[in-house]
Parts: sequence; structure tokens; C-alpha cells
Amino acid sequence: MSTPLPSGDGIDELLAGYRPLPGHYDELMGPDGQPRQVWQALLRDFAAMGRDLRDSAGNTAEGLLREHDVAYIAADGNSKRPWHLDVFPLLIEPEDWQGLADGLVQRARLLNAITADLYGPQQLLKSGAIPAPMVFANPEFMPNSCGYKVRDGEFLQFLAFDLGRAPDGTWWVLSQRTESPAGIGYALENRIVTSRSIPEQFNAYNLHRLAGFFRSFADHFAALGDQHRSVVLTGGPIQQDYFEHALIGRYLGYPVVESADLTVRDSRVFLKTLEGLERVDLIIRRIASEHSDPLELRAPPGMGIAGLLHAARTGNVLVANAIGSGIAESLALQSLMPALCEQLLGEPLRVPGVATWWCGDPAAREHVLANTGTLSLRHAFTARHLLSAGAAEFAASDQDLPDRAALEAALAMHPQDYVGIERINTSTVPCLSAEGTLRAVPMVIRVYVAATANGYQVMPGALVKVSGVDLGTGVPVSKDAWVLSREPIEPETLLKPLRAATLKRSDRDLPSKTADDLFWLGRYFERAEGNVRLFRSLFLHLSGEAAFGNVPVALNILTGLMVSLGQVSARHSRRVIAAGYRGVEHEIWNVLFDPESPDSLANVLANVARTADQVRERLSADAWRIIERLTAMPRLRWRGHTVNDAVAVLNDLTEAQSAVNGLIHENMTRGYGWRFLDLGRRLERARYIIRVMRELLIRVDPLDPGVLGMQLELADSLITYRSRYKTEPQLPAVLDLVLADDTNPRSLVFQLGEMKNHMAVMPLEELDGHLSRKQRILIGMHTEITLADVDKLAGVTSRNGRRTHLNRLLNRCEQGLDTLTDLISQTYFSHSTGHRVTGNVLKDTADHAV
Amino acid sequence: MLYEVRHETRFRYEWPVTISHQLLKLRPRRCTRQNVLESRLSIVPHPTVQRDWVDYYGNVVEFATVQGAHSELVVTSASQVEVLPGMNIMLDFSPAWEVVARSLRNPTQTEALAACQYCFESPFIRLHPEIRDFALESFEPGRPLLAATMALTSRIYQQFAYQGGVTDIYTPALDVLRQRRGVCQDFAHLQIACLRALGLPARYVSGYLLTRPPPGQPRLTGADESHAWLSVWCPELGWVDFDPTNNLIPNLEHVTVAWGRDYGDVSPVSGFIFGGGQHEVTVSVDVDPVAARFVT
Repeated sequence: MSTPLPSGDGIDELLAGYRPLPGHYDELMGPDGQPRQVWQALLRDFAAMGRDLRDSAGNTAEGLLREHDVAYIAADGNSKRPWHLDVFPLLIEPEDWQGLADGLVQRARLLNAITADLYGPQQLLKSGAIPAPMVFANPEFMPNSCGYKVRDGEFLQFLAFDLGRAPDGTWWVLSQRTESPAGIGYALENRIVTSRSIPEQFNAYNLHRLAGFFRSFADHFAALGDQHRSVVLTGGPIQQDYFEHALIGRYLGYPVVESADLTVRDSRVFLKTLEGLERVDLIIRRIASEHSDPLELRAPPGMGIAGLLHAARTGNVLVANAIGSGIAESLALQSLMPALCEQLLGEPLRVPGVATWWCGDPAAREHVLANTGTLSLRHAFTARHLLSAGAAEFAASDQDLPDRAALEAALAMHPQDYVGIERINTSTVPCLSAEGTLRAVPMVIRVYVAATANGYQVMPGALVKVSGVDLGTGVPVSKDAWVLSREPIEPETLLKPLRAATLKRSDRDLPSKTADDLFWLGRYFERAEGNVRLFRSLFLHLSGEAAFGNVPVALNILTGLMVSLGQVSARHSRRVIAAGYRGVEHEIWNVLFDPESPDSLANVLANVARTADQVRERLSADAWRIIERLTAMPRLRWRGHTVNDAVAVLNDLTEAQSAVNGLIHENMTRGYGWRFLDLGRRLERARYIIRVMRELLIRVDPLDPGVLGMQLELADSLITYRSRYKTEPQLPAVLDLVLADDTNPRSLVFQLGEMKNHMAVMPLEELDGHLSRKQRILIGMHTEITLADVDKLAGVTSRNGRRTHLNRLLNRCEQGLDTLTDLISQTYFSHSTGHRVTGNVLKDTADHAV
Repeated sequence: MLYEVRHETRFRYEWPVTISHQLLKLRPRRCTRQNVLESRLSIVPHPTVQRDWVDYYGNVVEFATVQGAHSELVVTSASQVEVLPGMNIMLDFSPAWEVVARSLRNPTQTEALAACQYCFESPFIRLHPEIRDFALESFEPGRPLLAATMALTSRIYQQFAYQGGVTDIYTPALDVLRQRRGVCQDFAHLQIACLRALGLPARYVSGYLLTRPPPGQPRLTGADESHAWLSVWCPELGWVDFDPTNNLIPNLEHVTVAWGRDYGDVSPVSGFIFGGGQHEVTVSVDVDPVAARFVT
């Protein structure tokens, strides 16, 4: 099998630190200590690349992953972690793979048959083939799903298997995932990134491509749900694998929706879109079964669709995988698989499972207690995090068992909740270490199986998981697996979506929640832009570099502005003024960069990032990249800062914002999505203009030195003013430019005009030929400002010098905008969250409902 | 005994509700000692969807959707139920409790298999060593199952105060045990938890209690409301009811509506609404004995 390699071509160096672990099978080295035949070309290539090119391939991969923002939520449920990939792939030989693939198809059929029986006739319980407590004690068993209708007996459309290779070279199933298996999107991403990081090696090997597999199941889904719409149901960015929900949605051409986007009427499921309700008949479920219906199941507040289970039971919607599918992933079933396979399929089980003892059986429990040294105790029913089932969890090195007393107590109370699993040393695989050489590290692979028109099919590849502890990186690392073929393989690309799009130009079926998210993205984005502009101007004034004639502006004007824009509290501002310029500078600094302060720019940008994440599949890769850069900026910390540093950062931010503006303006199609985004921006910009004007032209005397210059600067209209008037700023001229000049894209009237245009073509504004209330408000404000007499606005003052006409106009506009915002959200974003009610004398406190 | 039962649930909402889904488990079920002569269910405003089916536990469930704005929803269940006297149960002649627990480890016989699904934790009922220790005081080794269960029923009745407003529908059995007070639902949950902690099958029963006390007898707690108690499974005898709120074995004065693992499986009216703001719910229950001549 293996032949000695010629030395001296760098392979020695590459393998210098490679030590297969004793007692483990090694993927690379044969029993004779020489690399197996199939790996030799790859080794030669990597050796020939030298350290520099190897590092650069790794950097390419890191860069691509960063660019695609591939991330997952860590097991703690809070932090978003970047995905790490080792470009050195796992190679699997054709014969080895074929046996495994056949065995996994068999297991998929078996698990489906088990699920169908448990939610149907329960013959397996009646015959004693599965002890009843193994099912009834499992919280994944959902009695409400019994009698549930599925097509062709297919409960499970997606399955995943974690596998380890035992010391004797056979593959063992470590766990089976049937509830909502995660990771297939990451496997896809690993393939794309690996093939682009080491393209020559990728093309040199004759390996199975993944596209055919994805096409087969996409076709199957298309056939299942072709009459109406299909959606991917996600829990949103808080879910550990949200990244892949968007990827799968994009790939299959299905919208990615959250619970609030869907509603049940007439026992059918509908997607709420801008134009109204659209029937949904297939849901790819990526939220937990238990969270999918707050009416019949225990969904936490805000999760699930009330009535979904009823709709599914009635056969009006197909949920993939079926609600309650988690019953089949119980580790306790593992020990019964050989017998169940004989009984249900009439054939011997092909791929063995790791030896398992279910503690619900008293004899097995005794065995587990007597062998805690060689067994690891696991919860029989609780699913694990995508990355937690690493090799270490199954290896002999894992010793953190509870103490004997705690163990016995747990087993006495809930014996059926535990299993003892034989520890196995999974095979080691070569991984590129930080030193640029290969190291042998234990691995677990996750292999995916999907239902297709021709039965279950295995994805010819895998997600290879390597523990960060074993590799010494501290973070989990994954790899691509190349399944080799003896037959010639047609190269196919994974990059283009699978389903041919039907031609359409409108996006009237935009989910209303997406419209809402885009509206808010526009608002946050503009808010951030206004803040940056404001602070840049303030810093310039503080440093005495104000662009307009170097006139210092009084401290109280600066702090007044900050109060008015909600940046600091009024009480705080008095303290700041007392501290003098240094105090103001310090406060601006805090508002800008303090992540603890709710109004800081850092937080406004965090909101931009969050909303952008929600609509990620609608943003171009370029826009996404710039938004990433933009929102990452305030994370930089400054020590020993100067005003000039701040101005430099603010300049960078302005540039990034301009870039996003350009992309939105030039690259987004003028559909409703764009209109809502722009509507949000215009609305926010109009508010900003009104607030700055009220502060600078009403609260203080605009004729004080520097004030009008500042007004022009904050309205980004300084250059225009200068080129037009070539004099010191005069109030009527300033008012005309920032308020009523419809050629100035920064004027109030311009924002109103744009909003008026958007509203004129929105889908729900035609009321038998009459104007809607939103349109009336906009036309009213637009006309009032267009007709405004700026001399009068500038001239009419009350006894204490306040410009009363102007003040009233600004107030009316602000009220109009408030009403408009309410009306827009009532009309278009009415995904009001529902809540539970009961006819019980006891209170239903929803916060306990989780 | 023949009863006419009327159970009305009225929701009033601060703002109009645009859509409301209701899951109703209000039709009394037929069982060994109970015939249902008539059962009517009315929902106002009239629902656009109303479907019924028999759930996993054999209860009649109604799914109803009211579409279109409404500020009030009234669900009324009216039924005529005949309750037959139970046989006299000889508590001491039941098998030892450990024998029953052991027999359910891998049951295949239909009845035992059905009982087995009530042996474990369920969404509303969590087990805890303190609960088991509390139970063990009544479950001495070898004690007959039903005698021990009755002793436990009496201890809950004697040691716990019936007090409304201190618990909600999610109050865990452990909290009830520690604070020693609650209402019928809490006592039923606690006693079920006790039995399951010993590996015994116990289910939650929802129903009603006769409101008019017989002459000279004290008025029973739980009247004019839905009531809840529990049932324990005993080989040969089948399911035997116990009412820890009233310290008795239900006979002619309890009308059974539904049963399941816990309150979550049998909640008479549970809904999910959109809109509505604050809401107010009023429940009224009347259980009236009917003259014997109506019995057919």
C-alpha cells in the first residue's frame, strides 16, 4: 500500500514533527510508518510549496472566511466566533467511502422507520424492541406529533452522523442527528474556501464534487413544495449556526424567515409580505421542534408559529424535518440499532455504533458504574453543540466525570437519562500547525445524508472537526474532506444557486419583516452618519480648526447640541460645561468610543451591524465587507489620544459610509427593499436636520459668532454656500439652503420630496384612488416648506428674540415625521408578536414559559 | 349521578385582537365510570376554523381560530354527564409499590405500556431528591401501592394550605413542597412528582367538582372552578383517582374532562392571540345535579 518516499524534497521537513499517537489509527501513515499511497501527491505538493506558500494558502483561507463572515455562536450562547479552517484536507479512498456511504444510507432509512413507528403504530414499543421508558422519558418525544401527516412516510429529510475511525480502521458512528442537523453550510463553505486556497491541488485530485448532492435534495424539496412557497425558518442571528441558514436559503433560493414572518390562518401557513399573505407549503425547520409552536409546545416568548403543529398535522404544510424528529437522535438507541435494523429492514447493520449502555436497564447501569474508568457517561437525550462533539469527547483523555456520589445520585433519580459510552481513540489526521508543518491530531467527521427522489443520498464529503486543545490552537478547527473517485468526475461549481430563477422584476413578495429590517438599517446607518458628521465638526471646533473663519463656538452651544441629539443628559452637560473645553472634549470622546454608553457611536454602529446581519442575504458581498469594516472601527481603543487621532478615525468612518452610500445608490435594484432602506435614511436625516436647526437657530441666537457656519457644516452644505454666496453666512440664505432648496440633497425639503416619491409607489397606498394619510402628511410638509418665506422665518421673532415662525414650522415637521413613522410601521411591519392566554385562574407568567 | 355542567371562559381585551387561536380541552371524556350524554361547545365570535380530534391521551381536543378583530371572546362548554359509582377500593389489597415500579421497566402489555408514559418528568413536572424523600415517608418498603398513595394524599391535605394567588401555572412542584401552599393544580403536580420520583405511573386529571354540598356536609374546596386531581395506575385495578385538595378518592362528585402527563397536556382553554394589549379572563363553572328521571 505504501511505498517509501524519496527524501530531500521537503517532505522530511513537512513531516518532521509528525508523530502518530499510539493506540490511534493514523489517516496518513500506514502500519509500516510510511505515508499511504493516496496521500503522497498531496504531501509532495505541500512540501514543494514551502513554508511561505503554505502560510499564504492559510492566509487566503482566513481572508476568505473573514470576507464571507463565516462565524458561529459559541457553546456559551453569547459570543460570535470566527470559523477556522485548516486547508490541508482529509483524503478518503473510494472503497473506504463507498462502504461508509452505503451504511449511512441504511442508517438513515432505519432512523426514519423508527421515527415513523414511534409517532405512528408504536409497534416497536409493543413488541419490546425499544423499552418504552427510552421513549417516554425523552423530552424530544412530542406526543402532539403522533398521527402527524408526512408524505411517503418521510419524517426525516436531513440527517447527520458524527463518525470516528477506530484503531482497527473501521468507522464507528458516535452520534446521529435527526432533529435539525447543523453544519452542512459550513461543510459547503469549507469546500469553497479550500478549493480557492489550494486550487492546483484541488484540481489535480479526482474528487467527488458536492454540487450534485445539493442539486438532488434541492430538486426533492422543489417537488415537495412546488405549489406555493418554501422558506427556511431560522431563530435569527442568536442561533449558533445562523450563518448557514442564510447560506442554505440563498443556495436553494428560499427566503430565510423568522417565526414572526409566518402566520397561521385557516389552518394554513402564510408568509407576511408587503402585499399581504402568501401561502407557504414547505418549511425547512432550523429552530428546535419544541420551539416551533407556542400554542401546543413550550416555545419561549417570540419563538414559534401558533398553530403550526395543527397545520402540519392537517397536512397543510410540510415541515422538514418533522416536528419531534429529535426522538431518533437519542444516544440510548445506539445499542439497539443492530436488532432494530434486522427487525425493520431485514438486513444486518452495516456501520457499527460505538458501544453504548443505557442506564435505564438495571444490568447496564451496574456495568456503567463498575466501569467508569473505560466508559464515559453522557446524557442520553440532550443534543450537543455543533462543535462540542469533537474527538476529545470520545477519547480516553476525557476524565471530567462527576464524583462517584453525584454520579450515583443522578443515576438513582433519572437512570433512563444516561448512557455509558465506550471511549474510543479516534483516528489522527495531519493538520498544519502554527509552525507550518504537519501534526497528527484526533478527528471526528460529520457526514450528511439527505432525502432525494431516489431515496437517501450521502454528501460525498464531510465536515472534519479537530479539537483546538489537541491542535494547540485553543479554538476548534475544521477541514474539508476529499472523497476520491476512480471514475472521472465532471467539475461542477457550487457557487451558482441551484434553482433556475423565474424572471421577475418586482419584489412585492418581500417579507414584511425584511422590509422592517431594511427600514431600520437605513435609520441606524443615517444616525451613525449624522453622529460622525456632528462629532467631526465638534472636534474641529475644539481644536480651533473650524472651517468657517476659525470662530470659536460657545461651549454651551456644543453641549446643547449633544443634549438635543440625545448624546448626553442635560444634568451631565452642566457638569461638562463646568469642566471647560477639556471636559467637553472628554465627553465627546466617551460618547464616541465608550462601548458601555448606550448612545455611543460604538453602539449605533453595533445596531447597524445587527440589522445588517438580519438582512444579510440581501446585501452584496461588497456592501457587506464595507459594513463589516465600518462597524469594526470603534472597537479600536485609543490610549493617549489626541483630537487629531479622533478626527482621523472620523474621516475614515465618513469614507466608509460614503462607500456604502455609493453601493446602495449604484448597485441596489430599485425594488421595495431599496425603497424601505432609503425611506429609513431620509426619515432619519430629516429628523437630524430639524434637531440641529432647532438647537442652533432657535435655542441660541443664530447671529452669535460661528453659529451659522456650524449649521452649514453640520448640514454638509458649507461648500455649496461658499460657492454660491461667497460671503459670511446670512440667516435667510442659510435657511433657504438647508431647509427649502430642493436641489440640495442635504436640505429638509429634499428628504421630504424623496419620501413622497417612495410613498407614491408603495404597494398599500392606493385607496380607491384617494391619497393615503402618509402621502397627505408628506405632501403637506413638502408643500409648506417649498412655499415658505425664508425672510419671514428669519425675521419674525418674539419679545425674547426667539424665531417663532421657524420654531413652529420645525415642530410641525417633527410631529409629522413621528406620525408618519407610526403609520409606516402599522401598515407594513405589522408582525405584532402574539402572546399566550389561558382560561386558568392561575396566572400565565410568560417569562416562565421558556 | 347525572350532572349538567356549564363552563364559560370569557376573555376581554383592552385592544381588538386580530387573530386568535384556541386549543380547547373542554369536552368531558367517556370513561369507565362516566357516560357523556351530551356535549356542546360554543365559541363567540364564530370561529373561521373549528376542528376536533382525539389527542394522544384520548382527550377530545378542539382547535379553533377566530379571524377578524374582536374585543371579547366567549367559550362555553355545556354538557350532560352521568357519573357511576366506583367500586369500593380495598387500599391494603394492592401490590407492594416497588413491585409496580419494577414491572414498568420494559412493559409490553397494553395497559402497562400506556401507564409507562406517565412515569417520567414532563414539561411541567420536574423531579428532585427532596420530593422523593417527602414521598418515601409514606412509601415504606413493601407497603401496598394504594394505601401508601392514600397516606401521601392525606399528608398533602394536612400539611399544605390551600391558598390562591401564591402560585402560577408554572410553579414547580419543588417550590410547592417548600412553601407548603398552593391550589388544586399545585397539589396534583406535587403528588404526581412524588409518585414518579419513585418510578410509579401517575397522571394529571382535569375536571369539575359538584358545587352543591349535601345537607349537613361542609362545602368542598374547588367548587365553581375547574378542578384538578391525579390518578395512579395499579395492575389489575387500573387507574385509581386521588384528590389531595380534598383528601379523598373521587367517586360521585368528580366529573372528569381530560387527562395527561401534567397541566400542559390538559389545559382546558389555552390560546394564542395577536394584538389585544392587556386582557382580563373570567371563568365560571356550574355543576348541577339533575333529577334521576332524566337518566336513560
